Amino acid sequence: MSSQGTGPADEPSTEPPRPLSIGDELPSIRTPPMDRMRLAYMAVAMRDPNPVHLDDDFAQGIGLPGVIAHGTFAVSYVGAAISRHVGVDRIRTFNVELTAPVFIGDELTTQVTTGMVHSMGDETILEGVLSVRNQDGTLVARGSASWISP
Amino acid sequence: MGATIGFRFPEQSVYLDPTRIDEYVTALGITPEPGWQCAVGQPVPPGFLMYVTTYGADPVHGEFDIDFRNTVYGGMKCEFRRAARIGETLRVSPYVSDVSVKTTRSKTLTFIEVTCEYFDEAGELVATESSSTIQTAVNAPSGDDSVDHDVQGGGS
Repeated sequence: MSSQGTGPADEPSTEPPRPLSIGDELPSIRTPPMDRMRLAYMAVAMRDPNPVHLDDDFAQGIGLPGVIAHGTFAVSYVGAAISRHVGVDRIRTFNVELTAPVFIGDELTTQVTTGMVHSMGDETILEGVLSVRNQDGTLVARGSASWISP
Repeated sequence: MGATIGFRFPEQSVYLDPTRIDEYVTALGITPEPGWQCAVGQPVPPGFLMYVTTYGADPVHGEFDIDFRNTVYGGMKCEFRRAARIGETLRVSPYVSDVSVKTTRSKTLTFIEVTCEYFDEAGELVATESSSTIQTAVNAPSGDDSVDHDVQGGGS
């Protein structure tokens, strides 16, 4: 286990969200380098017994260079990019496909771009296109989401 | 193996435990919204519910004979009627919503999707979440010259 801590990613903005238009990008989340302490916490929180997140020997035995992060990281960071801007209560749909593993030391950056706008009853729904890339630009997750316009 | 479309697991209660959600947020190092505290009544971060359909839910994945050496998490989709709140107890009866198999030149890939519909104590639907896992088996050489599919997946 590394002695590295779980320092915070970007602090949430305390400013009220501004209205969004098609093509606007939500503020991205840039994470600090992935570390083993984060993986340990996630393994406990998710009750995930998969040794590929904790045991380098196991990971190397299946052809990986070392342990990989849980898929929940990329999913959750891109979810947080939305919820930090509009609030958890406004998210309606959230779809994320994982496309590449995340390794120790990787730094992730989210991108959420507003797409279509439509009405549902009294609510205005925004749809967004999601992606998460590592420090090399490799796409590690992609997807879509919709939320009620603030 | 229970990976048959429609296979339904026994109903379970899911207590949205503040301690566990605090562990999750600590792992991320980021709060889901400004001013959020890990306290009863606060909204559950949008990525948290996927845990029931992932490996941690032993009653679910224990049925699938999952071998961690050849299984990756493929992704999730979730539809919220409302945000779940910390301290709530939800009822859920996970079921296998999709199974598909792709055979490539070198591998056989089994995609299993498990879906959970979360109901609150009043019986109202809170959220529907689905997660996919991909199990890979290496094929014996056959001389088949079909083209490999682009197989992805990045975690578990």
